[in-house]
Amino acid sequence: MTTFFQAVLDGFAQGSIYALLALGFVMIYKATLVISFAQPALMVCGGLFAHHASRVWDIPFWPSLAIAVLCGAVLGMVVERLALRPMVGKPVFTLAIITIGVDIALRVLANRYMGADPRGVTYPNGGRRYEFLGLSISHQRLGLIAVTIVTVIALALFFRYAKTGLAMRATALSQETALAQGIRVGTMFALAWAIAGGLAAIAGTFVAATGAGIEQNTWIIALKALPAIIIGGLDSIPGAVVGGILVGLIESLTAVFQPDVAPWLGNNFALVAPYALMFLILLVKPYGLFGTKEVERV
Amino acid sequence: MKQHRKWVRIAAGAAAAALVLTGCRGGGDDTEAGPGITEEPCPNAVNEDNGCIYLGAISDLTKGPFAPLAGPITEAQKAFWKKVNEDGGIGGYDIDIDKYVADSEYNPEIHNKKYQEMRNDVLALGQTLGSSQTLAILEDMKSDDVVGVPASWNSAWDFEDQILQSGANYCFEAMNGVDWAVKNRGVKNKVLAIHYPNDYGGDAAAGVEEAAKANGLDFVSVETATGQDNQAGAVAAVLKEKPDLLYITTGPAEMATIVGGAAAKGWKGTVVGSSPTWNPALLQTEAAPALEAMYFQAAPWGPWGSETDGHAKMREAIGDVDSPNDGYTAGWVWEYPLLAALKAAAEMDGGITRENVVKAAAELDSVDYEGMLPDEAYNATGEPNEVAWRQSVIGGVDKDAPTGVSIVQDFWVGPTAEGYDYTEPCFALS
Repeated sequence: MTTFFQAVLDGFAQGSIYALLALGFVMIYKATLVISFAQPALMVCGGLFAHHASRVWDIPFWPSLAIAVLCGAVLGMVVERLALRPMVGKPVFTLAIITIGVDIALRVLANRYMGADPRGVTYPNGGRRYEFLGLSISHQRLGLIAVTIVTVIALALFFRYAKTGLAMRATALSQETALAQGIRVGTMFALAWAIAGGLAAIAGTFVAATGAGIEQNTWIIALKALPAIIIGGLDSIPGAVVGGILVGLIESLTAVFQPDVAPWLGNNFALVAPYALMFLILLVKPYGLFGTKEVERV
Repeated sequence: MKQHRKWVRIAAGAAAAALVLTGCRGGGDDTEAGPGITEEPCPNAVNEDNGCIYLGAISDLTKGPFAPLAGPITEAQKAFWKKVNEDGGIGGYDIDIDKYVADSEYNPEIHNKKYQEMRNDVLALGQTLGSSQTLAILEDMKSDDVVGVPASWNSAWDFEDQILQSGANYCFEAMNGVDWAVKNRGVKNKVLAIHYPNDYGGDAAAGVEEAAKANGLDFVSVETATGQDNQAGAVAAVLKEKPDLLYITTGPAEMATIVGGAAAKGWKGTVVGSSPTWNPALLQTEAAPALEAMYFQAAPWGPWGSETDGHAKMREAIGDVDSPNDGYTAGWVWEYPLLAALKAAAEMDGGITRENVVKAAAELDSVDYEGMLPDEAYNATGEPNEVAWRQSVIGGVDKDAPTGVSIVQDFWVGPTAEGYDYTEPCFALS
């Protein structure tokens, strides 16, 4: 049983990364109806901002994280202003393709900065472990979970009580109506990208502080957020969090138990498991667990 | 005026036809010596009076798991041939390995496509990175009489005349790694091999299994995918099996994730990695303490900082680099057999041609590696069971060494590799 709960704990920590990334996807989707494929690059850039602050400027971890979030947010806004804003009104498919181009361009720049070496971030006492009821978790993973919880609560409060948060929700519901109410829709788009960039930077910073750091292939991690947003529902912020955590859990539990319980599924079934879960959930709930059912007048 | 127009049309038509015909020929500069060799000097030639031999390099320059190593490999090879050119070239030719460099993204299909694009333009391949990738072009190389230098150490290459491999393959390297750990690290019970599900991983895992059998160790093998985020299963396997020895054949990031992840959950033991598992930058990551405590690298030759003539020449030719990397070392060493084959071909009737290079490579019974490997490490004149090189070095983590590892065991062959009946590759390439 300890093994099971340890796998749950590990999955929850990994799922926190996916949840942060999934939140970024959902923020942009809600605001613009575009799935942003630039999130992997924003994550990598965020991790590299933190690396630069931590290792080059020798700044402690938490201020480095703050710098990364700030830079990630600015980068998100710049991407929106330069690449997406001029295309407002064009088909969303076109915009999605543009985000792929943005992703590639940013990763080329990031790869040039990285070169051959993985880039890490110094996390204070990251290796220290805490034991509780036979379970074990590292200081760094505990920090990740705590930051994710704080971020999710802060976002929830922002959208519920802050004037700007309410304006963003209004924009997501109907851009025309929001415009009629005096809301600057373009600013809301930029803000959505800024929040997505900041969230990706948090994820990237913790990825850089783990294991082998950030390297040229690390962007692939962000793609795990895609099944997370489908599972949770493309337009649901709670869905993104639940979807991200579920992907982390299913991945961890499958990695630990599948080789013994279902060896006939072959090696590395854990890689497929999130997509299998996504498939099952879509069979039952086509719009995801928390997605808004689309109603069309015919 | 009409006459003038007519001639203009004829001239334009002839020019267009010439252009089309040139295009159909693939743009190659064939001469009497054949494709990949011209009497014209190389672009940016060191010796303007020399002709030019073009070598191709198909590498993993951007997206694949070995991109961090492939860049240094390619740079070292450019430096190697530049040095050869500065020494006068070979048989009246400079060597160019700059013009035909292609990125395969570690994908056999793209690798093949890139070879098709350059096959009429190169004399030989100065680099073909990856086992499956090289296999994807091997038949075409044979039909083209093109020799290639593999950026891999696969046991299958010992059975291929046109693949010029240097150093012990992954299979012997793994046998030596296990034998060394048994002798020096007190490994007695179980060895777990974690490896990529491909020819690189399979070749090493076959060597680990053979050595485990020879040493009376329990053997468990787990395949793992590329990507740091895909190592949960491998970490779980380490924690479940609790091996004395973990032998890893992945990329550096995956290795560090597995070792760091397992150590963080309390596993202790010895880790030996195939040579491509190491990158000195791992010492700047959170996995560094675990690697310093447990990791050893089985390698085909000494690292960047070793004291041999070849290493010294390499360091001088490559110059100052931001972070020394044994991708440079490998890229440099690999070129020596091709240099020897070109020199031998230059002495043959007909001089340097593809056919003569193939013939010369098959007749090499030693290669001057300038001390980086013993001369007898290369011998293509006998059966692999008699002539294949079986010795490896073992490196330990050393923060003060330029590439983060220094030799703890110089060239040696363990009893398993020494007695291995090598009549076929350890792992069948597919």
